[in-house]
Amino acid sequence: MKGVEIRIRQQKGMVTLELEGELDFSNVEQLQQEIQRHPEEVVEIDLQGLLFIDSSGAGMLLSQARYLYRQGRTLRIVNIPDFIREDLEMIGFFKVLEILESNPNA
Amino acid sequence: MREVITGNGKIIKACGLEGSGCSLPAGQVGGDFFEFISCDKRTVFAAIGDVMGKGFHAARLMETICHMLRECARINPHPLEVVRRLNKVGGYELRKCGAFATLCLLCYDGIAGRLTCVNAGHHPPLLLSNGRVRVAQCRGVALGLLEDYLGSGAEEFFLAAGDAVVLYTDGLVEASGLGGQRYGQERLKEIVRLQNGADADRMKQNILSDLETFTRGFSQKDDVTLVVMKVTGKAGERSGD
Repeated sequence: MKGVEIRIRQQKGMVTLELEGELDFSNVEQLQQEIQRHPEEVVEIDLQGLLFIDSSGAGMLLSQARYLYRQGRTLRIVNIPDFIREDLEMIGFFKVLEILESNPNA
Repeated sequence: MREVITGNGKIIKACGLEGSGCSLPAGQVGGDFFEFISCDKRTVFAAIGDVMGKGFHAARLMETICHMLRECARINPHPLEVVRRLNKVGGYELRKCGAFATLCLLCYDGIAGRLTCVNAGHHPPLLLSNGRVRVAQCRGVALGLLEDYLGSGAEEFFLAAGDAVVLYTDGLVEASGLGGQRYGQERLKEIVRLQNGADADRMKQNILSDLETFTRGFSQKDDVTLVVMKVTGKAGERSGD
């Protein structure tokens, strides 16, 4: 499957965006707009159906985490497939998320 | 340092070391880069990295980062300081664009035979010695993601004549073949292990040839950049290349 499909589930105070397919340079803006469109306090990104993420996708998720933390909100990334977790760990993704949570201006 | 540039490739000889690198773009130009930097008669740097994104924007940022890397190495050639400084100045430029860059920096001292490695979010290098391949342990956060560089520090190895080091970008290990299977680090380690005795340029060609076999008939998403360095002489005898 090429491209990314985003399924949206809303509940009180939280929106979950379920991704399926490939998140890359060509479609990161689509997800970014979707993250910014929702006013809920917690935005959850479910990566279970993700087959591929490139550096643009990882960078966008971190910039959106920073954006939400600065507003006192939360970006939560869940159900990360192992092969994607390894790629994200390589760039220090989770370390940065942890630091941004306590200091969004780091 | 003696240097030969051929298309996407570069071959160097310096400080008792030979190096061969190349960058193969996949479609739209990307942000992969590699550099060899000679600081003085005894030390040579090799760097490999990947700037986030594609196209003109990523290529321009990559040029900026390469230029800053050379400047940082000139100001204070201690590898950890190079990366810290680059994260400050280059990180600022990257953050302005909402981007980041991975970097693995190696510094080889030909008199001591010492290789120092600092990593900022990049795949760690493979080291080939006596037919055995090991993976360096150094890790760190990619450039531009945090104001101050955060990593495991400088990792050191002492190399003997015939030992080799392989640097690569994600486009190599994430290249896909039959059934969407990834080329992967294990296959890369195995082909590197079989290169005992080959010179740096031959090693590079053999790895790329194996990658080509694996990916034949399948279009690839990402650039592939590969750098191989091999020690050609004994420590202490290396300044006169």
